[in-house]
Amino acid sequence: MASVELRGLTKFYGPIKVVDNVSLRIDPGKLVCLLGPSGCGKTTTLRLIAGFVEPSDGEITVGDRVISSVRQTVPPERRNMSMIFQSYALWPHMTVAENVAYGLKIRKAGADVIARKLDAILTTTQLGRFADRYPGELSGGQQQRVALARALIVEPETLLLDEPLSNLDANLREEMRFEIRRLHDVFHCTTVYVTHDQSEAMTTADVIAVMNGGRIEQAGSPEEIYDRPRSEFVARFIGNSNVLKGRGLDARTVEFSGVPLQVNGVASANAPAALSIRQHEINLMPAKPQSDSNVVPAKVVRQIFLGGNRDYMVEAGDGTQLRLITSPALSIAPGAPVWLHLPPDKCRVLAE
Amino acid sequence: MTAVETTALSPGARTSGGGFDITRPIFYGFAALLCVLIVLPVSWLLYYSVVDRTGAFTLGNFGKLFSDPAFLDPLLTTFILSFSTGLICCVVAAPMGWLVARTNMPGGMLVRYLVTASFVTPPFLGAIAWELLAAPNSGLLNKFYRVVTNAPPDEHLFNIYSFTGLIFVIACYTFPYVFVLVANALDRIPGDLEDASSILGGRTWDTARKVTVPLVLPALLAGALVAFLQAMTLFGSPAILALPAGFHTMTTKIWSLFQYPPKPELAAAAALPLLVLTVILLRAEHMILGRRGYAVLGGKSGEPRLIKLGRWRWPALALCFAVLLNPIILPYGALLNAAVSPVASQPVTFATMTLHNIEWVFFELSTTRLAVWNTVILGVSTATIGTVLAVVIAYLTTRKAVRGYRILAFLATTPVAIPGIVLGVGLFLTYTQPPFVLYGTLWILLIAFVTISLPAAYQQLQSAVRAVHPEFEDASRILGATRLRALWQITAPLLRTSVIATWCFIFVGTIRELSAAIMLFTSETKVISVLIFDLNESGDLAAISVLGIMMLVITFAVVIAVNRIPGFGGMRLRNS
Repeated sequence: MASVELRGLTKFYGPIKVVDNVSLRIDPGKLVCLLGPSGCGKTTTLRLIAGFVEPSDGEITVGDRVISSVRQTVPPERRNMSMIFQSYALWPHMTVAENVAYGLKIRKAGADVIARKLDAILTTTQLGRFADRYPGELSGGQQQRVALARALIVEPETLLLDEPLSNLDANLREEMRFEIRRLHDVFHCTTVYVTHDQSEAMTTADVIAVMNGGRIEQAGSPEEIYDRPRSEFVARFIGNSNVLKGRGLDARTVEFSGVPLQVNGVASANAPAALSIRQHEINLMPAKPQSDSNVVPAKVVRQIFLGGNRDYMVEAGDGTQLRLITSPALSIAPGAPVWLHLPPDKCRVLAE
Repeated sequence: MTAVETTALSPGARTSGGGFDITRPIFYGFAALLCVLIVLPVSWLLYYSVVDRTGAFTLGNFGKLFSDPAFLDPLLTTFILSFSTGLICCVVAAPMGWLVARTNMPGGMLVRYLVTASFVTPPFLGAIAWELLAAPNSGLLNKFYRVVTNAPPDEHLFNIYSFTGLIFVIACYTFPYVFVLVANALDRIPGDLEDASSILGGRTWDTARKVTVPLVLPALLAGALVAFLQAMTLFGSPAILALPAGFHTMTTKIWSLFQYPPKPELAAAAALPLLVLTVILLRAEHMILGRRGYAVLGGKSGEPRLIKLGRWRWPALALCFAVLLNPIILPYGALLNAAVSPVASQPVTFATMTLHNIEWVFFELSTTRLAVWNTVILGVSTATIGTVLAVVIAYLTTRKAVRGYRILAFLATTPVAIPGIVLGVGLFLTYTQPPFVLYGTLWILLIAFVTISLPAAYQQLQSAVRAVHPEFEDASRILGATRLRALWQITAPLLRTSVIATWCFIFVGTIRELSAAIMLFTSETKVISVLIFDLNESGDLAAISVLGIMMLVITFAVVIAVNRIPGFGGMRLRNS
């Protein structure tokens, strides 16, 4: 088991900087998620780690061995890695057993070793019955398992997953998330997992690296990312936060829409400041409350009944629109004035 | 971002991987080879068209081309011929396509098969078969006419050696182009589109007029252009039918300029209009078919609605067969008859049936063995070299493995715009003088056949490579396979059926090529198609029939075998 480290990794395609100075350390046996919208450079980062793409700058090391740099790139086949592709890339002309055993055959393992390991991995992934089928004869979930088995049987130092669940339907996707985490806990390989789905990242990852525009905006544990987003992008991308822009009055107070708000975190006085607050953390009130601390007046733009709750869009005095979730019983017509209570501990100051 | 987008962005992405990268030298080698194949003959053609005997610059060749009646007549003839062929093909093929695709006419599949059969029949063979049928004196149909009507022996009903005869025979083997385009377009129109018109109150006839017809009009127009192009560039049929009738088309005129005394400058100048027109027509076809909204009409949304013909079902089928009598039933009958009859122009009976012709062709006719041998050598080597070239180019361009892959793709598809006879002239001019003197060898024919077969082979294999997801190879490499091993174990097996099918198609296309071969052969390098042409001039129609049937059997065997491969659409054979 070895750590994987990216240092100042940069990739240009023509004039376009697809990966921009990415640095990240992945401890041995940990599962890191690269999370971000499409086009953020996460797949290119993964393919840089795999060795399919050469870096324009920076380097990648596994343990103390440099595997990618501007000067030299170790080809994918000599990296002792495995990868699961978005399309699964199961070879249609080989049976499940042939697909899975491929990596061992290339490593010139003996027939008895291959048979033993094949049997073990097919049992672990519940594929025993399908050994002689062709991939085209399997369901999406079964194909996904074959891809996992094929990648894991060679006991790679590093496992790379490129949006592995995006081709599955919703139920199966949920199930496979836990399956991937379970297999990771069994095999313990250092894993890099690329996805655009934040709940997928939350379920599987030890560390989440949120990427945007080729850069890592924030890396940390799922709790850290969720509770303490550092930037507006992370706040919006994780957990659908509202971002409020105002001015710092002092370290603990930010003025928003003419109202001084007590905040969680440190603001700087007399400088622009941004807060994030989640949709369900805002209390909506139809009448002006007695205490006006951290209360912002607003008016309803629209509201939708969603069964279990109600989804409101409101507009504060300065024109900022906020989205919030209330209990379904509270119904206020569009245009009516409302008051929003923003609890101080939920008003997180964004560092960037 | 998906892996595919990544690759699209990065021409260099897949060349990574340490060690010596062999894709670059392969790229330069192939680009150079294609330049030699294509750029060289076209350049010599252009050069010769603007010089005189002494090598000085002149526009006199073109002046002569557009003022001398000896050239103006063939130009005009070719134009009328092509235009009438295009028109007739549309009039015949469009209703047939509609009957097959959109009505409940019985026997639709059989009609499609027979149209395919006329598609793959070499037109020069059809022309010879029609000589057997409708030559003024010896033609079987004319003899039949005289027997039935007691007409005097010098009277005839048909004369195939005439302008109308030529148009008729060319249309016989060109209408499948229009039929296929129209029938495919009709097949693809989802029933929903017509249902949508009905629900808004359109009656059957309104719907046909306002929805169905406008949707297939582009296909019909494109078909007309292709038919025009075919008629314009065809050499075999006019050489067989127009020359005895005493007139020329452009292709026969170009050919005659190489008969003694050769006038290469005039031939080059006469070839250029054909080249330019072909390029223009192909661009036009591409534009018509490529227009958004017509090309792909969404997914599979409802079976096409079949119109019930009622009691007109059988008359409709009879009509189709009446049409198919001309390219298939009558000519094939005439060829079979001639092959086993002691006299080619006499109907055979059980009493007179003989195998003498077959014996004579294969064991006594001295030129046959050489021609068959040459054809086999050329067919096998053209198919092998062409397939290798096409598969490597298709791989490099589809995977965008090298910078400049677009140049390769362009060069590989260019020959489609060079008519066989034009290529023949270009190659003749190129390889009869230093530095490359190949005239008189099989090499020059090999170069011609490889060039001609490249575009269709490339397009076929390109779609095959495109169907193999690049992640198949990536998956193999990340598990430890080198690039070559991944190609060998993963990509190659997945491409195998397409490669075999392409090989077969090139082989079949090569053994029937005439218009380039006719410019390039010498007595030692005759191939079967040229031999058939020669035998026609000496009047050995029985021998032709034997050779022609052999050629047809091989062709049909390959076409049927290849059409059985699932997912392989079938490749356009190029007629010459």
